[in-house]
Amino acid sequence: MSLPKPVMRGLLAKRLKFHLPIAFGVAITTFAVTEPRKKAYANFYKNYDAVKEFKAMREAGIFESVRPAGK
Amino acid sequence: MLFFAAILSLFLFLTPLASRCYSHGKVETEEEFDSRWVTYFSKPDIDAWELRKGMNTLIGYDLVPEPKILDSALRACRRLNDLASAIRILEAVKDKAGSHKEIYPYVIQELKPTLTELGISTPEELGIDKL
Repeated sequence: MSLPKPVMRGLLAKRLKFHLPIAFGVAITTFAVTEPRKKAYANFYKNYDAVKEFKAMREAGIFESVRPAGK
Repeated sequence: MLFFAAILSLFLFLTPLASRCYSHGKVETEEEFDSRWVTYFSKPDIDAWELRKGMNTLIGYDLVPEPKILDSALRACRRLNDLASAIRILEAVKDKAGSHKEIYPYVIQELKPTLTELGISTPEELGIDKL
């Protein structure tokens, strides 16, 4: 039983055609999406005052376990 | 987002075979390429440098050499009394095939008559294909 002739040319080109778009897609996405997103979160929390935000939320009456001050 | 970026990259980097743009000269067919290399290794008084140079150049291409090119190269090894290079050529073919495991057995199948005639053992027969 003799083996049929396989494809022997252009194997790297075929692989790159498939993987390069993915590689560049991931690269573009990290710089266009994930990095700005991480910066946005970092900036938001850089000067975040948790106690101040808690007090504001408390006054807004959204908590069930803590009533607004003075009631 | 990733999908969009991948599609964008696909358009930027995809050159289908049919619409490749050549800014110079004629395109060589696969048959012409193969014949050129068979002729190269068929030189009766090929020297050791030319054999090594030819093989190194050939291995640099994005293809696994056709059995007829390898046959010509193995016969050049015979003329140069270089069994080591002959076996190395077989190892190189297996390496070029990479993850496409069906290529190497096919090439060996096609070269079997030549290997027998010239008395060349395969790396597998010598047990040097395993680390």
